[in-house]
Amino acid sequence: MKYGMFAMTGVAAAAMMMGGCASTPEVREVALDRAPITSKLEPQDVRRTVEKMTESLLSAPGVREAVGGTRPVLDVEPLKNRTTQHVDMVSVTDSLRMQLLRSGMFRFVDKSTSGTDIEFMDAQANLGLTDQKKAIKPGQQSAAQMYLTGALTEIKNQVGRTVDQYYKFSMTLKDLRTGELVWADEQEIRKESVKPRMGF
Amino acid sequence: MKQTNKLLSVVLLTAGLAALTGCVETAGTVVTTDHTTGSTLVLEDSTRLKDQIQVLSVNYDEVNGLKRVHITLQSAKHRRLRLNYRISWFDANGMEIDPDTKTYRNLLVEGRDTVTVTGVANSAAGVKSKLRVRGLEAAD
Repeated sequence: MKYGMFAMTGVAAAAMMMGGCASTPEVREVALDRAPITSKLEPQDVRRTVEKMTESLLSAPGVREAVGGTRPVLDVEPLKNRTTQHVDMVSVTDSLRMQLLRSGMFRFVDKSTSGTDIEFMDAQANLGLTDQKKAIKPGQQSAAQMYLTGALTEIKNQVGRTVDQYYKFSMTLKDLRTGELVWADEQEIRKESVKPRMGF
Repeated sequence: MKQTNKLLSVVLLTAGLAALTGCVETAGTVVTTDHTTGSTLVLEDSTRLKDQIQVLSVNYDEVNGLKRVHITLQSAKHRRLRLNYRISWFDANGMEIDPDTKTYRNLLVEGRDTVTVTGVANSAAGVKSKLRVRGLEAAD
């Protein structure tokens, strides 16, 4: 009887130790380029795509011809998301713009913040707080000479427990004056995940 | 007594194996190229990776005013290798240029095959490149 009680207490203590008493999850910082954990699009895929696209654009011979020693004004349009997943395409566009800006090959305008520009100019002209000799007047901004655009597409197949997911980022750089495509490239990503035989 | 020793050795072996699986080697092969002098230095810090992949050649050129490096790697294995590589760039003072923008990319090398990896400097100031190759298990 006594032996049975001891055994039961021992099993209960072991179960508690194995289950863990702490309710807070273990949190640790991981590398930005971590190994994939799902077959979905992950931050490291986006980072690799942005890096590859930037390198490709900066080293393309067609871009050199179009730029021709000048620093043309460029706008980056948010990429179109044609997948079933939610992907923050504005963030992808921002990363791309940041890397191209740092290269020093282009100058940039941002159409998406034009509304804020108008608000500032309106306030400077009408609120009476700004010295009118120093106030920025509308109609002086640089015009975009080229724009960068693109899309993200996906193909998903599931056979049994295996999910095969394919993503493609495609991007083009267009000269606004001539209408010519100066550069185009794509980045393909293919991932496979296999569900376990057991479990939910 | 004999049975106790046997049990102890099994416990020790299990503990040793468990400890070993937790240790992942993150050191790899590093190829540093100075584009101004043309000198290249290959450092093979992992003996396991050294037996898997070898640096065959290093070439460099310039495109649109940016330095570019091509490094050819050869697999010494008959099976497919899954690796990671990253090419970072340094200015003339040895400062790394935008380290966060250069990521580890995947590299699949078929058995006994050669692959060439290419990197373009992220700025005209980049004059020194560093390729780092590591095993896929080194990624978290």
